[in-house]
Amino acid sequence: MVELKNVSKTYSNGTVALRDINLKMDKGEFVFVVGPSGSGKSSLVKLLLKEEDATEGEVYVNGYDVSSLSRHEVPYLRRSLGCVFQDFRLLPNKTVYENVAFAMIITEALPKEIRRQVPMALALVGLSRKANTYPSQLSGGEQQRVALARALVNNPSLLIADEPTGNLDPETSWEIMKLLSEVNNRGTTVIVTTHEKSIVDEMKRRVVAISKGLIVRDQEKGQYRDEDKNCQTYH
Amino acid sequence: MKIRTVRHIIKDGFVNTYRNKLMSLASTVIVVASLIIFGFFLLVSYNLELNVKMWQEQPQMEVFCYTELDATQVKMVEDSIKNNDKIAEYIRVSREENYEKAKEKLGKGSDLLKGYGADTFMESFIIRLKDTQYSQEVVSSLEKMSGVEKISYSQNAIDVISRISYWIKLGSSLMVTIFLVVSVFIISNTIKLTVFARRKEINIMKYIGATDWFIRWPFVVEGVIISIVGAIVAFVISAYGYMSLYDKFAQDLFLADSQLLKMVDISEVWPQLILSYLAIGVVVGMIGSFLSIRKHLRV
Repeated sequence: MVELKNVSKTYSNGTVALRDINLKMDKGEFVFVVGPSGSGKSSLVKLLLKEEDATEGEVYVNGYDVSSLSRHEVPYLRRSLGCVFQDFRLLPNKTVYENVAFAMIITEALPKEIRRQVPMALALVGLSRKANTYPSQLSGGEQQRVALARALVNNPSLLIADEPTGNLDPETSWEIMKLLSEVNNRGTTVIVTTHEKSIVDEMKRRVVAISKGLIVRDQEKGQYRDEDKNCQTYH
Repeated sequence: MKIRTVRHIIKDGFVNTYRNKLMSLASTVIVVASLIIFGFFLLVSYNLELNVKMWQEQPQMEVFCYTELDATQVKMVEDSIKNNDKIAEYIRVSREENYEKAKEKLGKGSDLLKGYGADTFMESFIIRLKDTQYSQEVVSSLEKMSGVEKISYSQNAIDVISRISYWIKLGSSLMVTIFLVVSVFIISNTIKLTVFARRKEINIMKYIGATDWFIRWPFVVEGVIISIVGAIVAFVISAYGYMSLYDKFAQDLFLADSQLLKMVDISEVWPQLILSYLAIGVVVGMIGSFLSIRKHLRV
């Protein structure tokens, strides 16, 4: 599903974000990628979306060889996965319905298909009643749920959530996490980057901890913090 | 690209234009303003050209025949003038007319002509050339003819007008070009602003997997809509302004009567005006959207 082989990333200004990362995620997994800001977890997500190119190594996502993908093939990679961001990234000039439908329109889906899928996705996140409102009229949690509906409307096999609860209060964060968990239960692979300790500890999922560009821990049913003293100094 | 995608793109262009009312309005106003400035210079240059052409045609030559020529000999001179392809038109002035003219010229002193009849005057031809640049050629060929006594013309005036018209033509086309370039810059800069205001939107579309063209086309459609509206508004304003100026001009009898200055009728210029407005607007709108969006597509 997702595989990184000896991946390193150095930005043009000399910052080393990732050092020789090896990581594999299988179909149907739910993976937390944790680490403090600047640890390299955002760079990891950027590599998966080909927002940035790896300096060294190979990246495979959904069967795409990301490192050798040409510029005009990138949209097709991105369509094959769903994406949720900390800042929601909804189109401000489109209604909730249009925002979700847009993800299908770009794939040139049939109008009939769109009319069927969009209400289903909105129902899944519990926003059927808000279909005709604009993002600015919604709360943060609702906006993130719209983003989630948009990410899921094409039934992707992989969902990447980059700090999905970063802008939300704890209660709303839990709602989003429950939704992500539900999506995972339906068979979608879910990758979540976060630094919310309570959520990670509670969910007891696979935890990949990154620090200073290195994977310091990869644990099934892990905790946010390890007993390892070396690791704690970064938190 | 599928038809429903094309339909979506066109619809999106319209909807975006409407939803970004303020920015669309601002862009339209700027398009209108720069097109009107451009149109002003275009109309000025049309009018200059018309007047210069008129002046160029005005200088006349008069060919005087010998007084002793009889009708057949005069006819020969007339035929050779008629067959000269560099002469646009000519008027035959009879002895009587020349007599009357002389009388008129002398005014109170016309008593001097008492005792002289029309037969002491000569026949002449007033000639208008197709182009002033032929003047030397025509004069030398006519001078060689027997029966022609003299040719009156002012080579100086002709030369000056030729030179002035050359500079006016050059100057006005330079002006039109400069303002064309200025309009292009202003319009594409406005589009750049619009795109910059919506760079986040472009970014988001890229993240959810829209292709470059899918993002680009609605902006291009938007640019075209704005430029078409701008072109039409600019046309209405400049045509109305021109017509009212034309009316004022026509009412001013002195100017109209003197035939020294003329204004091009709006019916002769409006197709060029609206076509150049539309062409500039649409081409600039398209290229402007296309170029200014490119930077933001690299995500």
